[in-house]
Amino acid sequence: MVRTRFQHFFKAILLLAFDLFFIKLHTTGDISKYINPKYENMSFLAIWIFTLLFLIQLFRIWENNRDEHAYCPPGCNHDHGDSASVPRKLVNYSIILFPLVTGFALSPTVLDASIAANKGTVLPQSNSNSYDEDLLEYEFGDEEEIVNDNFLSNQEYDDKMKNLEQTEFIEMKEDIFASYYEFISDTPEKFQGKKIKVQGFVYKEEGMKGNQLVLSRFLITHCIADASIIGLMAEFEQATEYPEDTWLELEGTLDVMNYNGVKIPVIKAVKWTVIEEPASPYIYPVLTKIL
Amino acid sequence: MRQLHSYLIDFTSLIAISIVLYFILFSQLAGEKLSFHISDSFLQLNTIFLSILIEAIPFVLIGVLIAGFIQIFVTEDHIRRLIPKNRFLAVVMSCVVGALFPACECGIVPIVRRLVEKGVPLHAGVGFLLTGPLINPIVIFSTYMAFGNDSKMAALRMGVGFAAAIVIALIISFIFKSKQLKHTISDFTSSAPKRTRNESLTVKMEGMLKHSIDEFFDMGKYLIIGAFIAAAVQTYISANSLFVFGDGVVGSSVVMMGLAYILSLCSEADAFIGASFSNLVPSTSILAFLVFGPMIDLKNTIMLLSMFKARFVLILLVLITVIVFISTTLVSIF
Repeated sequence: MVRTRFQHFFKAILLLAFDLFFIKLHTTGDISKYINPKYENMSFLAIWIFTLLFLIQLFRIWENNRDEHAYCPPGCNHDHGDSASVPRKLVNYSIILFPLVTGFALSPTVLDASIAANKGTVLPQSNSNSYDEDLLEYEFGDEEEIVNDNFLSNQEYDDKMKNLEQTEFIEMKEDIFASYYEFISDTPEKFQGKKIKVQGFVYKEEGMKGNQLVLSRFLITHCIADASIIGLMAEFEQATEYPEDTWLELEGTLDVMNYNGVKIPVIKAVKWTVIEEPASPYIYPVLTKIL
Repeated sequence: MRQLHSYLIDFTSLIAISIVLYFILFSQLAGEKLSFHISDSFLQLNTIFLSILIEAIPFVLIGVLIAGFIQIFVTEDHIRRLIPKNRFLAVVMSCVVGALFPACECGIVPIVRRLVEKGVPLHAGVGFLLTGPLINPIVIFSTYMAFGNDSKMAALRMGVGFAAAIVIALIISFIFKSKQLKHTISDFTSSAPKRTRNESLTVKMEGMLKHSIDEFFDMGKYLIIGAFIAAAVQTYISANSLFVFGDGVVGSSVVMMGLAYILSLCSEADAFIGASFSNLVPSTSILAFLVFGPMIDLKNTIMLLSMFKARFVLILLVLITVIVFISTTLVSIF
């Protein structure tokens, strides 16, 4: 009896801790280091559900044990916690406690080049030649993109995309980075000779020359686990001096080069400075607001 | 007596809140002291691990609420009346219901368990489990976006996925006759007399929420284990090292399906990851990745193992792998 009460009490504590963890993520803004801010509404919902469940659980602590199954229809077999042995219960609760401990104790880190290397490659590889046709299938079409982002209205997006084709100086701002990147890498010829300014971290891949580096960003669709790396090749003599994970702001002229048989855009850099890691290091794709 | 009870609740809530605050303060202090000793790669692992949880928990909460609702409000009679007796009709119906039901693969597991427990035939449960996360408006739209506004991949994903789900569920219906749950309902029904009390709605609602809490703790630990393994794989294993089978269509399809399994991505986001492989592997293998991932993955398997018999989960896993592989390969030939 006492044991069941204690267990209900412990569950109440865990629910409250999860609740406060989500609240903390929102108040500190750390949530954007874990998930795409577009999905924030879902975790807001989680805060409300956890609060509700905590209150229900609180009342359960002092309920009399015989009421436990009163609300169950026959055949109820869910775990009321009185079946498992003590060591097993300890293991179960430690597993649930674990993410709370690391979540409160350790602050989120920003993904670095070591993860990027695990994600596959940014640049086309030599063995991809045979699939060039597949690649063409997914070419950025001429049709209008349906976009209704929470940061960009349709109008703003159209203006920005039109601007990209006309302007002589492309600035890769964070809100439009993904769309610009996609457009430029799909049709590099259109942008040959245009000036560009971009911020990113240095990433290097096997097969690159000493004067080359990829200025990259992580693209987060939903959460950090689905991060993919996107980046533009840059060429300048001093590229060797900058190790991976250095953040650079770079200006230069766009050109087209042949890399493993695929045409890719390359920035001939003229000006570059080492910068601090930006407050929002990740790029989120321009997408319709879903929830 | 009632007043005493409310004091008691106030008192416990105060204690609970102060314990949690102490816990937070303590772990933050400990974190500050120890974070220098923790390796960089573990910090990255932890960030990925937590991000999977933060992404999944809202969906799991919705899932357990629905499961609680089914437990309290849906009776076996309802189900007996609604599900067709005919095997084939039942499978098709469950796949269509799954396709209309916008669920995430981790949220759907507790729902399926409740349904099967309530008397939904196992094959219908499987149909629902497979199409629920795979076919829904959000997934269709994100797939369409991820492949540069090309509707071909989105259409193939839905079509092939739906057909594969029907085939898998039908085969399951021939192999398994029983519920395959770890604890069977009959153990209880024989001893417990059937109560048909008309409880008030508030009592029922309270019961539903209590069920949801227990279900959350039941499921939560498996979700956490699955998320941790998926994060560890991402941190320590390179995707390129998986391409040991060379770059043939067969080899790369196997690799892409393996990748979909261990990455355990949410079906709403995996299209973008799939698309990022389009310069490495042929589109057939990407299709296999997109169809296989939502049907079954690592985190999902661990959750399934917690409540279904291991033999059933294993056979289901093998079936899904084989059928998805065959159907995506067939599509590429035609």
